[in-house]
Amino acid sequence: MIEAHGLTKRYGAKIAVNNIDFVARPGVVTGFLGPNGAGKSTTMRMIVGLDRPSAGSVIVNGKPYAEHAAPLRQVGALLDAKAVHTGRSARNHLLAMAATHGIGAARVKEVIAITGLESVAHKRVGGFSLGMGQRLGIATALLGDPATLILDEPVNGLDPEGVIWVRQLARHLASEGRTIFLSSHLMSEMAQTADHIIVLGRGRVIADAPVAEIIALSTGTAVRVRTPDAVRFTGLLAESGAAVTSSAPDLLEVTGLTAPRLGELAAGAGIVLHELTPSSGSLEDAYLKLTEDSVEYHAGEITEKVSL
Amino acid sequence: MTTNTLAPTSTAPGSSDVTTARLTFIGLLRSELIKLRSVRSTVWCYALVLGITIVFALLITLWVTSQSGGDLFGSGAQGTALLVSTLGVSFSQLVVCVLGVLVISGEYGTGMIRSTFTAVPRRLPALFAKVTVFGAVTFLVSIIGILIAAVLTAPLLSGADLAPDLFASDLIVPLVGAAAYLTLVGIMSLALGAIVRNSAGGIAAALGLILVVPTIVQTVAAITQSVIVGNILTFLPSSAGASLYQTGIEGSVADNGLITLDATQGGLVLIGWVVLFLAIASLLLKRRDV
Repeated sequence: MIEAHGLTKRYGAKIAVNNIDFVARPGVVTGFLGPNGAGKSTTMRMIVGLDRPSAGSVIVNGKPYAEHAAPLRQVGALLDAKAVHTGRSARNHLLAMAATHGIGAARVKEVIAITGLESVAHKRVGGFSLGMGQRLGIATALLGDPATLILDEPVNGLDPEGVIWVRQLARHLASEGRTIFLSSHLMSEMAQTADHIIVLGRGRVIADAPVAEIIALSTGTAVRVRTPDAVRFTGLLAESGAAVTSSAPDLLEVTGLTAPRLGELAAGAGIVLHELTPSSGSLEDAYLKLTEDSVEYHAGEITEKVSL
Repeated sequence: MTTNTLAPTSTAPGSSDVTTARLTFIGLLRSELIKLRSVRSTVWCYALVLGITIVFALLITLWVTSQSGGDLFGSGAQGTALLVSTLGVSFSQLVVCVLGVLVISGEYGTGMIRSTFTAVPRRLPALFAKVTVFGAVTFLVSIIGILIAAVLTAPLLSGADLAPDLFASDLIVPLVGAAAYLTLVGIMSLALGAIVRNSAGGIAAALGLILVVPTIVQTVAAITQSVIVGNILTFLPSSAGASLYQTGIEGSVADNGLITLDATQGGLVLIGWVVLFLAIASLLLKRRDV
């Protein structure tokens, strides 16, 4: 369980994380989504005490992270695949990390096997690919068999097989009742892994809801119309009160009217349509819509609408 | 990577038991020892310290004993044995300083420090464990090198009628003092590395303080003949610490105010420098984001 209250991080005049509140619950994969620079990594670093919050607080499993007697038993964190000395072998890195908590070589062997690193365990980390580095980071996170896992962009640099593996691993760990907090800037990735999504934009929580609700947010918002008679149809739509934008001479994005109504209007006026597509309502669209708004002025409004 | 990784079996410990795991200082010492011995630079640096100490001692002894008399600077049997056994210190201290900086700056440079501080969120225990392990290993390697040098050169010096008594306090105490000096400047460098958080900068700071600053101060003292500048020179880490591996120096204040430190006083001054930089490093370590 991770609970953030009014968590804020300022770097000089720039606010990286702006007074955010959220909870990541046990038994659930909580996705932490946002464009690059939204403040995801900063938030994750504050959870494990690497960055000091400018204001607010965050507690893990009931206490601030640093107050736990066995921090690695509480939280396993993959924050940065490059958080390893390049001159050391993967096994020695894991042994050194494990030794801090009196965890022995047997567990190190286990996490090496779980993450499929046996063949490179004795090689120096400096020569690792990004994907192997991610696996080593995950192995490190699993050392203490922690109740909470924080994974920052875990699929970064993994091959497709590795991506599926991380996805299944996250789902499996959540099914064991652990708290999984996982960040990504890829909506499609979240759609397949997370149960609950927290969207961060410009340091603020702009949505905090189950995956299904996030998708529902964007359904029925726009209809794509392709017609050779775009000019006449635009005039007709304007009279009906719909908003129209156009990105190509024969392509219209229409909001304010449903697809069937648009079809009827076109038929009534004898206008030929080549395409009539309601917006897909994909998570990707919802995400783009949310993060686009966060750059403008609707952020507060949307938070009210979406938050639980 | 392999197909068996595709189906996540349990990630929970099987044969191993982690339920009793907790953060302890003994665990941190073990962790730092694993870190120290599992990086190549450490092994090379310590080998270099041993090599420099022993080879320099043998070379200077061979040269000294080939001269008529063999008595180095008229310092007698004990004094000559001390001089040859500690000749390498002025060189091996550079290696120890570089290693001291690298022990911590290497973690900042590679990002390892984030793993370290995630495991030890209170941070200071990790720094103190690092200081303890690096200090202990450096002292051990230094004293072994110096004692080997003393033992190997003793028969050569005996051949030139300069048979030293290794276990007399006027020889064994400054020999141990030399190892203590190397250990202390090493720890001071580690603290500088923690302050600067960068290998190049840390090494520049450490070697600057050990090599460059004394040279500049010495030059200024020579030109100005100023007693104050002369005393500043006396209290610099390298010159104060050097009294740890010299004999027969008595602490005094001359009529013109020029201060001389004996071994104990010089050692305490050097410890003062180490404590000062460790305190600054601790404060910054607690406050800064990583």
